Amino acid sequence: MEITDFSQPIRQSIKGIIVIFAFNVVTFVKKFFVLFIAFGVSILRSKTIGNVTPTMMILALIGVLISLLFIAILKYLNFKFYISNEDFHLATGIINKDNTIIPKSKIQNVYIKQNFLQQIINVVSVKIETAGDKKSEIEISALDKPTALLLKKKLFSKTAIVTGETEQLEAIEEPEVFFKVTPKRLLLEGLSQNHFKSFLLIFTFAFGLYSEFKDFLQELELEQHVEGLVELDEATILNLIITNVIIVIGVVLISFLFSIVKTFIINFNLEVVEHQKTIEINKGLFNKVSLSLTPSRIQNLVITTNRVKQYFGLHTLAVKQAMVNVKQQKNFNIVALEKEQLNYLVNKLVSNYNEDQGEMAKPRPYYMRILSLEMLLLGSFINGFALAIFGIEMLWVNAIFIPLAALYVCFAYKKAYYRISENFVTIGSGVIETTTNILEIHKIQSVKLKQTIFQKPRDIASIVISTASKSVTIPYASKSEATIIYNFLLYKVESQERDWM
Amino acid sequence: MTFTNPQIQVEDLPNIEDVALKPISKSYLKIIALNSLALYSLVLGGVFGLKYLIKEDGYQANFWYVFLGVLIICIINFIISILAFKKRKYAVRGFDVIYAKGLIVHSVTTVPISRIQHVEESRSWLARHFGLSTLKIYTAGEAGSDLSIKGLPHLEAKGINDFISSQVNGNN
Repeated sequence: MEITDFSQPIRQSIKGIIVIFAFNVVTFVKKFFVLFIAFGVSILRSKTIGNVTPTMMILALIGVLISLLFIAILKYLNFKFYISNEDFHLATGIINKDNTIIPKSKIQNVYIKQNFLQQIINVVSVKIETAGDKKSEIEISALDKPTALLLKKKLFSKTAIVTGETEQLEAIEEPEVFFKVTPKRLLLEGLSQNHFKSFLLIFTFAFGLYSEFKDFLQELELEQHVEGLVELDEATILNLIITNVIIVIGVVLISFLFSIVKTFIINFNLEVVEHQKTIEINKGLFNKVSLSLTPSRIQNLVITTNRVKQYFGLHTLAVKQAMVNVKQQKNFNIVALEKEQLNYLVNKLVSNYNEDQGEMAKPRPYYMRILSLEMLLLGSFINGFALAIFGIEMLWVNAIFIPLAALYVCFAYKKAYYRISENFVTIGSGVIETTTNILEIHKIQSVKLKQTIFQKPRDIASIVISTASKSVTIPYASKSEATIIYNFLLYKVESQERDWM
Repeated sequence: MTFTNPQIQVEDLPNIEDVALKPISKSYLKIIALNSLALYSLVLGGVFGLKYLIKEDGYQANFWYVFLGVLIICIINFIISILAFKKRKYAVRGFDVIYAKGLIVHSVTTVPISRIQHVEESRSWLARHFGLSTLKIYTAGEAGSDLSIKGLPHLEAKGINDFISSQVNGNN
């Protein structure tokens, strides 16, 4: 396909049929997964189901595949898009015709993605996101790379002029790769992750699989095997302990591996490219993603690190935009940044941000009381649980729990602070991780002053600040201070004629 | 034009505490009462229904305790709703809309008019009967930052709606 001008309605590249078809097959398999399992089990049991033979089933499967292919071709034929002066137009639908029109100025993101299949057949998909509904995103699933890049450029070209840029975009200096992750740093990043999260993920996955395959496993009589193994070990206590230790070590190792592999797959070849006004992030192994960040579209910045990561000098910068769904949100994370690089990027994304602007203030000590109360609740829950299941001797669990709870309260209070400057709100929080939330005051959508009936006599109140991407809380300040902040934020938002996007 | 950058005195800023918040219409109390009563009768009816479904002795013997417990919870809930009604207040300033609510957790939410995406006036069947409306104010923020002011007199809701709409459209 030669380079187009996009003013005439065009279709995707012909390879799009393959991509759509593959996508259809995957969704079909996902939908009828349980059915397949059931079929598989019954075939194992007896060679037929009622009077349906395997041949008939295979024929049925082929029929389904052919109809899916047919649908894919129709979808491809009925998918046309073009750009008229200010809007992006898209016509889709086989039977129900849909016409989508998006004004360029409302486009928030244009991603260029490449999954494994697309990498093989050498096409990219272009995703166009607006800040509207979570559903209102458009995906053009197959374009060759030059076309995609040109489309992206065209979609962004007007927005630059709107912001007072009258020069041609062509006159931009060569973009430079500002940051490229090294495998070593990526490995460290993977190692220093919160492995508990990985463990939970694996656990839920395994559990889900188990319940999915329960019948199947019973079929294979695995349970008897497992029980047999356990019975053998119950002969001696020592053996049991050793087995358990081995299991624990195994689980920990698997969690570690999982974290590292996940980090590698998602952030493979992560690079941050600097353009004049925007920052481009490229990353991914099986799913290559390329996305541009425009400062005006950014609502919040979240910086996370933890003790171990700090030692290695690793920081993660998460960029939050309006109404981006959770799955995409992960793509906006830049991992393994050095402190200087991080500061540079933050400055690029929110202009004139200075860490030491404004006075740093801490929540009232009342916050510690609330935290202790939370821990007390958790503690009583754990104790009740231990008593009910293991009896009285399980109370020694408190010997571990109480110091941990004390540490939790200590750290949570130590890391909590907030800072209100002329144009920014910075809020620190975290227990194991250290999290810093940064938002520009003119991006605020609403402010809320919260006070419970118990806090009223103590003159304590919290402030919840909402932007288009998330809400952050300034916890438990004194009422007078909270009111001052509240008034100040509102004054800033209402007196400036600055738009939030 | 000469550019000046006067220092802001925090004490001189418009103060949220100086705003005289208006309570919502008294008639809305009736709606709250009716809605609550409908809900409670459903719940209590359910408890009664269980009496005929569950034939176990334990439930049958202690049925009145269960019933009494549920009833007490309903009464407490009702009292709290009635008391919390007084806390529902609102105000419209030149640049923002303020809504306060909540007895146990009192919150005062302010949405700047420049951040409002659109306004909606909705009236349930019951509200129409009492001449009331609900004003829904949508921002681009999270669900938590949208306002919904219930129990406004219809004319007033319409007035606020028109005012905000004209402001919002004027900005574009």
